Amino acid sequence: MYKSLEKKPTIILQKIKESLDQLNDKMDVMIEIQRHNQKETQIMPDGTLDVMTLLSLPDHLRKTAVTLCKLGEGTADQIAELTKRARAVESGYLNQLVLMGYLRKERRGRKAYFYAEKQA
Amino acid sequence: MGKIIALHSYKGGTGKTLISVNLAATYARKGKDVCLLDLDFRAPSLHVIFRVDGAEYWLNDYLSGVCGIEKVLIDVTPKNPGKGKFLVGLANPTTEAIREMSAKDRKWEMRALGRLLSLKNSVLNDMHMDYIIFDTSPGLQYSSINAIVGADTVLVITGTDTSDIEGTQRMIHELYDLFEKKTAIIMNKVPCEVLPSKNQKRILRERYNINHTMPLMEVIPCSCDILRAGGTYIFSEEKPDHPFSKTLAKIASYIEAN
Repeated sequence: MYKSLEKKPTIILQKIKESLDQLNDKMDVMIEIQRHNQKETQIMPDGTLDVMTLLSLPDHLRKTAVTLCKLGEGTADQIAELTKRARAVESGYLNQLVLMGYLRKERRGRKAYFYAEKQA
Repeated sequence: MGKIIALHSYKGGTGKTLISVNLAATYARKGKDVCLLDLDFRAPSLHVIFRVDGAEYWLNDYLSGVCGIEKVLIDVTPKNPGKGKFLVGLANPTTEAIREMSAKDRKWEMRALGRLLSLKNSVLNDMHMDYIIFDTSPGLQYSSINAIVGADTVLVITGTDTSDIEGTQRMIHELYDLFEKKTAIIMNKVPCEVLPSKNQKRILRERYNINHTMPLMEVIPCSCDILRAGGTYIFSEEKPDHPFSKTLAKIASYIEAN
């Protein structure tokens, strides 16, 4: 009985340490994402989505960006229909392009519209 | 819906304009409605071939948002019946316009890309044209890459020069593939003595070290008849039975079918 009581605080401490390690890992990932976004923003402070920028994007984001250029503006649903990828995937990529400063996002009712430049 | 074809090359002087003009004329002869656009703003040349002294509006104006595309297009349809409509859009050849175009900023180029992409709606859908052909500047120019992004099919013209072939192979992987474009290579000005009657493409691939990822569509032999014509008339219109005109008819049919 004494032995199990002695062990309990050790187990609790062990669990706390594991949780802290997991939190640390998550924090590292968040810091890395933040650093990456800052770097991208520094390269393209004006957020111009021209062909040279399109060439510099990773393949998965380029496909989304080129499709949006063809539409002028669009929702994740409209982009997904043309790229034949899942809506949730396109939504993620579009938001990533917004975070990188290449696209803008505007809510109209329940829908979010993405564009590089407001159309006349 | 119609198709947009861009003619591009790594180096200059490969014969892009000659092939663009004659490909457009071939489609018109087949009864297709075609629109040929001079996107070579650094060295415009279609105004000379079509003998247009001055246009009210140029493609430069359209890309700058000054006017609609219908104001730029000039009807050059030959008088012969049964042919398709043949329209051309010209680049401003004045030194001032060339200088101005080479100094455009990235924001302007982004808007120009939007206007090129909208041609699919305005020219192919609304005007019911069958083909738009972009004649571009060689190499990695803004206007050329814009044209490639806006096209459905890219025809890359190369000569037999080693640096041209190497550059073309590099552009396939570093440019056309990145934009997921249908690409085909046309090897132009090939000396007749290296053209065997059989297994032409295989032998050319070996001789010029062309790797197998390069989609070699057609081979055009060097022709003194074309040099003699000197761009004073549209070759395939005047000489439809010449081997050059027949090769272009093959290229036109291939694009039509794919």
